Amino acid sequence: MLMPSMIWAQSLQFESPIRPEAWAVLALVPLGILLLYFLKLRRRAVQVPSTLLWRKSLEDLQVNSPFQRLRRNLLLLLQLLAVGLVMLALLGPKTQGLGRQGKRLVLAIDESASMAATDVEPSRIEQALRKARTVIEEMKAEDLAMIIAFSNSARVVTNYTQDRDLLLDRLRSIKPTDHSTSLREALQLVAGLANPQKYLEPGEGAVAAAFVPPKLFIFTDGGFADVEGFSLGTIEPEVIPIGPPIEWSPQQGLPVAAANLGAESTQEPASGPASTVFSGPASDNLALLSLSTAREENRPDQLQVFGRVRNHRGEPVSSRVILYRHDPAMPGEPGNLIDAVALEIPARSDQAFQFELKADAPSGEFFVRLEEPDAMPLDNQAFVVATVPRRTRVLVVSSGNRFLTDTLTTPSSVQIAELTSIRPEQLDLPEQQRALQDGSYDLVIFEGVSPKVQPESSCLYLGALPPDLPADQGREVASPVIIDWDLSHPILQYVRDLGTVAVQKGFILEPPAGARQLIESDQGVLGYARSRGSYLDVVLGFTLLDGQKFNTNWPLKSGFPLFVYNCLKVLGNALDAGSSDRDLFSTDQPVTLRIETPADQIEVLGPDGRLVETCRRTSQGTFIVSQARKTGIYRARWGTGTDESTGFAVNLFNERESNLAPRGQVPPGLTDSQADAFRIKIGSTPVQSMRVDAPVTREWWWYLALAALGIVLFEWWVYNRRLSA
Amino acid sequence: MPSAPSKSQLLDPEFLAKLEQLELMSRRIFVGRMKGERKSKRKGTSVEFADHRNYTAGDDLRHLDWNVFGRLDKLFLKLFLEEEDLHVSILLDTSLSMDFGDPTKLQYGKQVAAALAYVGLVNHDRVRIDALGSGLSEGLSGLRGRSQMWRVVQYLDGLQATGGSDLAAAAKSFAIRHTGKGVVILISDFLDKNGYESALRYLLARQLDIYVIHVLSQEETNPELQGDLRLVDVEDGQVTEISISPALLKRYKEHLDQFVGGLRDWCTRRGIVSIFTTNRNPFDKLILDYLRQRGLVR
Repeated sequence: MLMPSMIWAQSLQFESPIRPEAWAVLALVPLGILLLYFLKLRRRAVQVPSTLLWRKSLEDLQVNSPFQRLRRNLLLLLQLLAVGLVMLALLGPKTQGLGRQGKRLVLAIDESASMAATDVEPSRIEQALRKARTVIEEMKAEDLAMIIAFSNSARVVTNYTQDRDLLLDRLRSIKPTDHSTSLREALQLVAGLANPQKYLEPGEGAVAAAFVPPKLFIFTDGGFADVEGFSLGTIEPEVIPIGPPIEWSPQQGLPVAAANLGAESTQEPASGPASTVFSGPASDNLALLSLSTAREENRPDQLQVFGRVRNHRGEPVSSRVILYRHDPAMPGEPGNLIDAVALEIPARSDQAFQFELKADAPSGEFFVRLEEPDAMPLDNQAFVVATVPRRTRVLVVSSGNRFLTDTLTTPSSVQIAELTSIRPEQLDLPEQQRALQDGSYDLVIFEGVSPKVQPESSCLYLGALPPDLPADQGREVASPVIIDWDLSHPILQYVRDLGTVAVQKGFILEPPAGARQLIESDQGVLGYARSRGSYLDVVLGFTLLDGQKFNTNWPLKSGFPLFVYNCLKVLGNALDAGSSDRDLFSTDQPVTLRIETPADQIEVLGPDGRLVETCRRTSQGTFIVSQARKTGIYRARWGTGTDESTGFAVNLFNERESNLAPRGQVPPGLTDSQADAFRIKIGSTPVQSMRVDAPVTREWWWYLALAALGIVLFEWWVYNRRLSA
Repeated sequence: MPSAPSKSQLLDPEFLAKLEQLELMSRRIFVGRMKGERKSKRKGTSVEFADHRNYTAGDDLRHLDWNVFGRLDKLFLKLFLEEEDLHVSILLDTSLSMDFGDPTKLQYGKQVAAALAYVGLVNHDRVRIDALGSGLSEGLSGLRGRSQMWRVVQYLDGLQATGGSDLAAAAKSFAIRHTGKGVVILISDFLDKNGYESALRYLLARQLDIYVIHVLSQEETNPELQGDLRLVDVEDGQVTEISISPALLKRYKEHLDQFVGGLRDWCTRRGIVSIFTTNRNPFDKLILDYLRQRGLVR
């Protein structure tokens, strides 16, 4: 059994902030003091008739106080002691041991786009940081604090630390982002980091990890839905609302609807019912909430740019929306002004706007700016990129199937697809082989015939097997009865009548590993889908025609054209290629780019023209850009030519974020239940926490330095007393 | 601080004038108290009858009581109380510690000694002056009559402060050599680390009339020292380190008072007359007022 003092001594560690050279200099200080003392001891010699009386007087004084002998050297001793203590303090002693556990503080700071609002001086984020700073400055020495910044995602700015300077320094690094707010993300992070469910059981030789329920300070201006069904565990949350004081009168009613307005679906227009319900206090902001382009059905070369503006102010606003064409060669510049529309936006409601572009502008990058200045400039601008539509190129390899070709040439199919038909014997022609291998087609349909090599495209095999599978895999059966099919797969979306489809001859397939069953008959699998690199292959175990006769009645059913259309969309990527505003992304999500390029790597340039990220092609054939976190027009580049890059627009478009009305502030004079409507609610289930004494690192230098100061003061007192006593 | 005693200091006209003044004063004081005034316990040759005793061969026939012989036809000798001279012994401390002050205690002591010797001489007392140091150094003895005064001054002028002080040894040796009775005047600062008590006891044992003149210098009664000092005892070289503080000075003065008062009390209790003076006290004033008050000079 160790004595407690031994345990203390064993846990004593030293961590000196100064280097050995400095120590060498420091060690001279006591020597210097001793030297000075001995110099001082060279007393002046005085001859006296007799030291008799002096001796008696001295003896008398020494008898009076037992410390007289000490007192002669008291000042020296005190000086040495003070210096010793300072040196000891500089050694940085610390002990690990049981003791008082400091508080745990978690500071969660909202860095969403709305925090950039300037409706408080100087800005909301500054206000939040100032308040956080006061919390840090009030920390005690044993307290630990962690800083988390959150927008649509949360990140740890610092882990638990006692170092206030570090905390304050890291605090300065927090800047508002272009993202929306998700308190849930922050809470999940806090719960994961600060609320460990498991901790070590105290065992032999191990010190029990401590658990102290942390106190969570959330510095936020709202802009998120109430977090329901979330357990904070033992965390004690406290919301510190940021933003201007709310102006509210009882006549306005309670903001019940506002609390959940646009909580999950931010794209939903807040027109209609929202105007009849009090949607929270007004705020000084006008926001562009959507922007997109479209082409007219009958005039595909005519481009429309349309969008929506929301007025969060309590009064109507007249303003203009200005459209610029952005020049890809001049990143960071707004571009050339093309058009402007005047808008009258009623108080607290939406107003749509539309620009008709001339026929000479089928594509381009556009920038829209709202002229009215307000507290949040970020949502006064929006970006959109319109591209030239490109139809899916489909190759049908068949001995002539009228039903298939007819279905692929319906008007709706023609809009998105461009059909080429060849006969199976043409498949071996070199130019066809080349075309199949260089990605000239988006989708190849093989009916009753298999290629020798897999083409570089997605494939649909009807009554045929992919060339990489053994040819004897299919087991021919007669009249299989379809009993089940996977409606949730996009290829069979809306195809509900397969149950009525009869098949004369079919092959029962054995789906390879990783394939997904699509159609199942009473005798086995009739169809499956499988991924092949970035392509998707669908294999069906029956042909449509058997020679000139029907092999199945499916082409006569309404589900067949739907299936073909699904194939064009899913296998041929028709939807992506045809949509004019496909490159419209949010700052909250990583950007997924589907670019037609053989290159495996692209460079993404930010709105200011600087390189943001280099992305590699994923196994799905896409490029995922995770660093497009600012709004603006980005460029993905895979070469130096003008046609070797493409633009995409990243916008915020978050109604909740643009609504600057502060939340979490309760106006005075409300009952508790009324005030609930203004509070930020975090669903929580209190969990009884286990409180144990925890090992704490105690820094002792502080006490030593204090003792040294006390000794210096005592020495001063002794010195003065000697002079005056 | 030590200053060499000079002849002129003792023989300066001012001093001599004071001595003259003292002579006049002393004459007045000693009116009717010339030789024979002082009765001796010895039987001697005075006119005052004391007793008879049988004649033995060799006795002075002049002292035979012829009246008794006529009536009794026996030879008786008349005995008379002898009238003897007053023996005044002046013991002056000449240890190094006396060589301090302005004037030095020794100088002051010389003046006092000279003055007292002068008074004794003019009164036809037998005056003896000895110097006390680490022992007794024989000085002048058997002086009588004012004509001897120059010898006194000469002797005193020649005295130099030297050696340590050992009052006890000096007093012992004085007591051994000086068998007669009389008055002893001891002039010293009594700064003897072995104490003054045994010295005075030696003198007391001789049944002498003892007068003690305790001389301290102004520097001792009111030291003006400052700072951290190394005090060196001038006699034995003993070093004492002190840091002057008000508390220490207070203690010092208390001890000084105890020392002076202790000597005075000790003497008073034993019938010794003790007079304390500092070197700043004019010696003639001391002699005339103070000694008269104390009975040394009547």
